[in-house]
Amino acid sequence: MRSLKHITVALLELIILLSAGSCSDKACYEEMDPLMYTSLLESGTGESKKADSVRVIAVTPAGPVTLYKQNAVTFFTLPLDPANDLSEFYFIVNGVSDTAVLTYTRHPHLVSAECGYTFLSELTGLRTTHNIIDTLIIENKSVNLDGEKNLRLFY
Amino acid sequence: MAKRICVFFISLMLLSGTRILAQDTLTIPLNMRAGFDISGPVMHLIGSDLVSYGAIASVDLNEQYSASLRLRYSSYSVSEYNYDFKSSGVSAVISGDYNFLKPKVSGGKYFTGLGFGYGISFYNEEASRIEYTNPWGTGSDSFSPSSHTGHFLEATPGVRTELFPGVTIGWNLVIRLLISSGAGRDLKPVWMPGFGDATSRMTTGAEYYVSVSIPYKKIRVVIKPRKELTEDEGEENPEMNPSGSSFPPGGRL
Repeated sequence: MRSLKHITVALLELIILLSAGSCSDKACYEEMDPLMYTSLLESGTGESKKADSVRVIAVTPAGPVTLYKQNAVTFFTLPLDPANDLSEFYFIVNGVSDTAVLTYTRHPHLVSAECGYTFLSELTGLRTTHNIIDTLIIENKSVNLDGEKNLRLFY
Repeated sequence: MAKRICVFFISLMLLSGTRILAQDTLTIPLNMRAGFDISGPVMHLIGSDLVSYGAIASVDLNEQYSASLRLRYSSYSVSEYNYDFKSSGVSAVISGDYNFLKPKVSGGKYFTGLGFGYGISFYNEEASRIEYTNPWGTGSDSFSPSSHTGHFLEATPGVRTELFPGVTIGWNLVIRLLISSGAGRDLKPVWMPGFGDATSRMTTGAEYYVSVSIPYKKIRVVIKPRKELTEDEGEENPEMNPSGSSFPPGGRL
C-alpha cells in the first residue's frame, strides 16, 4: 500500500515536470549589441564638453545610414559593422563633418540560448580627418557588452 | 592461576549487579542497484532537441547512506533563426545520498532523501551558423567542432521505492551548479552534456530511473535507543506497563 502511494506521487510529479519542460521556450531579454562608447572632451583641458548637436552616419555598402542623432550630449555610443573588420563613419559635431575609420578584430560571443550570439570586437586602429576633431584616441580596445568607454574625442 | 582469575571476574560480575539490555533491532538488506533513466527518451519523443540516455549504479553503504554513479550520453542539436548549434558528449556524476527515512520505515526499500555530487562532462560543440544583425547589416561566422571538459556540482532531492522485489523506480529533481564549462567566456555551450545551458550558472532537471536491485548484505539496525534496567528497578516497579513507563495502566492523564 505504501509502495503504491509512493509510485503514484512519483508519477504525478514526473508528469508535472515533463509538462513544465515542454513549455520552456523563452524570449531574449539580454543586451545583444556591443556599443563603442565615445566621450566628447574639450581639446587642451581634457574636460567633458557638451556638443550642441551630434550626428553619426555609417558608410555601408548599401549607402549611408544614420546611427546616432542627438542634441546636447557629452558622449555617444555606436555599433560596429559585424560583417567587416573596418567601419567608416561620418562624425558631424556641431554641424562640422569629419570622417573616421576604425579597424578591429571580431569574435563571436554567446549571449544566451534564447538570444544567440553577438560579435565582440577588439579595436586595432583608427584614422580621422581633422575639421572639428582635434584628436581621437582609443581609451579601451574592447568593444563588449560591459558599457566601458572606448574612444576619447577631443574637439 | 587461571582458576583464580576466572573466580575474580565472576565475583566482579555478581557484585556489579546484573544488567538487562533492552533494545529493538531490525534486519534490513543493503542493495546494489543498476538501472537507466527513462525521462531522456520520453522527453525526446515529445519533441525535445535533446537526445539523452542515462544509466545509474548505486550501492547502499549502510541503512542511511548510499553512493551512486550516474553516466549519461547526450546529444543536442538546435537551429534558431540566428544560429545552428550542436553538442554531444558523456558526463559522469559521483554522489553521496542520504535517506531521511528511518530504517524502520525505509526497510531497505524506500528512499526519500538528498544527494550531493560532483559531475564532469566530456563533450564537443560546434556552431555551423552564427548570424548577428545590427544597423550596419548582418555579420556571419561559425566555429568548427572543438572538445572541452566541463565541471559542475549537483544536488539531487528524490524518492525511490520498490516496485516489486528486485525492481525499484525513483525520480530525482536535479539542481546543478556550474563550476566551469571549459570552453572559455565567449563560446560557452548552448547545451553542455550532463549540465544543460552553460550560459546559466544554475540549471534544473529531472531524472526518472528504473533499476534492478540486488541485496548483497544484511545488517542489524537498532531502531530503539538502548535502555538499561537493573534487577532492582525491575523488582521495585512491578506495575510497569508494556510501554516501559512506571505509571499504572490507565492512570496517566
